Amino acid sequence: MKYIYTLLVFVLLASCTKEVDMVVDQPYVPSNLDVNAGGWKTFIASDISVSTPVLVTDATYLKEIDSLKTVVIPSLTAAQKTAVQYWGAGAVMRWNEIARELAARYNQAPAANAAGIYPVPNAADPLADPRFPFANPPYTARALAYLSVAQYDALVTAWKFKYQYNRKAPYVVDTTIKPLLPVTSLPTYPAEDAVVAQASYVILLAMFPGEGPFLAEKLAEAKNVRVWAGMNVGSDVAAGVKLGGAVAAQVMARAKTDGMSAANNQAIVPGLIANSKSLGFVNPWASQEIPARPPMLPNYGAVKTWNFDRETMVSIRPPIPYLEGSAEFKKDLAELEAINKNQTRNQAAIANYWADGPGSYTPPGHWHRYACAAGVEAKYSEVRMARMLAYVGTALMDAGIACWDTKYFYYSPRPQQFGLKTSVGLPNFPSYTSGHSTFSFAAASVLSSFFPTKTSLFSAYAQEASDSRVYGLIHFRVDCSMGGKHGKLIGDYAVKRANADGAQ
Amino acid sequence: MKKIILLLCLALLAGKAANAQMPHDGIYMNKKLACGAVIYGNSSWTNFWENQLFRDNKNIGRLTTESVSAMLAYGITKKLNVIAVVPYVRTHASKGNLMGQEGLQDASLWLKAKGYSSHGLTLHGVVGLSVPVSNYVPDFLPMSIGIGSKALITRGMISYDLPKHLYLNSSIAYQMRSNVRADRDGYLAGSRFYNTSDVAVPDAFDAALRLGYLKKDNQLELFAEHFSCIGGDHIRRNDMPFITNDMTMTSVGVYGKFQPKTLGVNAKVAYVVDGQNVGQSFSLSVGVLYQFKL
Repeated sequence: MKYIYTLLVFVLLASCTKEVDMVVDQPYVPSNLDVNAGGWKTFIASDISVSTPVLVTDATYLKEIDSLKTVVIPSLTAAQKTAVQYWGAGAVMRWNEIARELAARYNQAPAANAAGIYPVPNAADPLADPRFPFANPPYTARALAYLSVAQYDALVTAWKFKYQYNRKAPYVVDTTIKPLLPVTSLPTYPAEDAVVAQASYVILLAMFPGEGPFLAEKLAEAKNVRVWAGMNVGSDVAAGVKLGGAVAAQVMARAKTDGMSAANNQAIVPGLIANSKSLGFVNPWASQEIPARPPMLPNYGAVKTWNFDRETMVSIRPPIPYLEGSAEFKKDLAELEAINKNQTRNQAAIANYWADGPGSYTPPGHWHRYACAAGVEAKYSEVRMARMLAYVGTALMDAGIACWDTKYFYYSPRPQQFGLKTSVGLPNFPSYTSGHSTFSFAAASVLSSFFPTKTSLFSAYAQEASDSRVYGLIHFRVDCSMGGKHGKLIGDYAVKRANADGAQ
Repeated sequence: MKKIILLLCLALLAGKAANAQMPHDGIYMNKKLACGAVIYGNSSWTNFWENQLFRDNKNIGRLTTESVSAMLAYGITKKLNVIAVVPYVRTHASKGNLMGQEGLQDASLWLKAKGYSSHGLTLHGVVGLSVPVSNYVPDFLPMSIGIGSKALITRGMISYDLPKHLYLNSSIAYQMRSNVRADRDGYLAGSRFYNTSDVAVPDAFDAALRLGYLKKDNQLELFAEHFSCIGGDHIRRNDMPFITNDMTMTSVGVYGKFQPKTLGVNAKVAYVVDGQNVGQSFSLSVGVLYQFKL
């Protein structure tokens, strides 16, 4: 009988949800309000106006205050208060986190159908199998770049009008209102959280068109929490939504014409292979999957870059790697063969840590996450957070484009074409240069410029992410070393642009 | 393979093994009697359940898991036995380029006690603790050799003696499983992304029904087993399995033991007839047993 009791106890214990050890970000007071951010240079947004708000003595405003006091705040539920704290940690950071989660959920290569064909995801029918998008590293780099640029441009514009109209917060106008979040002297019209929410919603819905209901729910909550918290009135939020939407529309106009729609143009592949052979590659890259899968986004290298032009991109393209049979190639292959034979546990751990493969937010997502964490630690204002992420994000997208251009220019073979296994899974595109190395060194360059005291940490991360591809046996050493150098150069272009935007 | 052969030889040399009794059977070693065993296992699948979709993966082909387990059972009293098991496990995919993994997996220690007994019906209680004994990679399924979780397993068992040396044995167990520290610092579980390396592994339960024949130390048994996680997520479309998955399987099999004297052999065949988020494994094991006094 006692065994049955013991069993019952265990079953009861198990019925509680299992918890995991995870950092929970908290609301904070920014170390600097960045009162001059309205003058910072935007990436895209221009000529956007925000209508003049009514005075805080106006009857319509006072009605909003009254509703806040007598209806909204007294009836707050525990769930609403939890939502206030969640979003209070930072709207820019939270939307970035949501985007990374969506990327992870959509980062899955299509399965082959019965005929051995890999169907292409269809944006017009995003939830059919295979779902649209396949949020691979280039796709995710781009989605996060547009998200960050839209947030940044929208917040710069918001800051401009905030200080132009200088509307006081509800709890300043009526001191009986007790706000639920840390307060600052930042003017409240238009509401920055609503600006970020609407801009983020528009971009993410375009990038993840099957997620309408999910995103609409997030949008509604992100707008409402500011009123629930006593931080804004409805008219602050409405003006923010309008502004965020207007900026996002301008940003989306660029996205629609940046060349992404032709990124998966498989018709260019025979020409790419012919070029590779003419460069001296005896065995160009070939898909190692069964059945062979068409290469990932072979024309992504033609997508429009952010921080340098096409001519510059071609001029900084890494030189041709070691050809099969050369002494240098043999040396790189020998390094991999040694790892293949006797991979250490530490090598496996590093390979796994940075793998960021299917079901993850990809390397660009990993770096956005670290960028957000650094911004939170530095107690960045919303607008400075968005600025930093916009440069990190555009550098990552530029890294993706320039790396893909390099990969498909050389079309070089993967180590698996020489009999090696992998402990992380093999990406389905040419080897040289390593995407991880390019992404990581580009992001580390930008982050080091924003957080100079963390330069050695970010450099070490980038080096480890780069090495991880050798340890995981899917890249030759030269893919990683040259990709890293390329990435650093790419990141430096973003830094150069940041240094000229008026925020310093 | 060399390592496996070496382990087998070592175990045979060290051998003084015997009345192979398992944590899930109703057989006990007499006081101060011990049984050592070395068991080779081979389990493999070509088809698996991706959530509920039954499919193959041409980039894995046939996934084979081989193991060599060293086991020792000892009679503290004839109603209380202790059993220890340590397996060395190796995985291999016949196709594709995923690297096989190998190493010592999870060592387990079990206490099995005979309780109330009357009219051929006996109640038993078993408590086991299973702990990874090497730092293997848990989050590289299906190549990983284990899931890296510590488990506390509590089993209630009823055995019933039938005429003509036949018996029935039925048991149910709850497996409390600890969180796992993954190599990565973020992962998707269900539709939520967790920004941590701490992974919650769902608890599980298993149940079994066995009908067998036991005369002296010789045994032949038919069994059906069911394993199911309590909660967890499903393998996403065309994704790899993960340690958070809600794995379920029902298997049937035959177990036999032949032990004329102190030296004996056992063998087991099992086949997964239904499942979710697992491979449809066919598994085979053979063991050498040696009984001795301690």
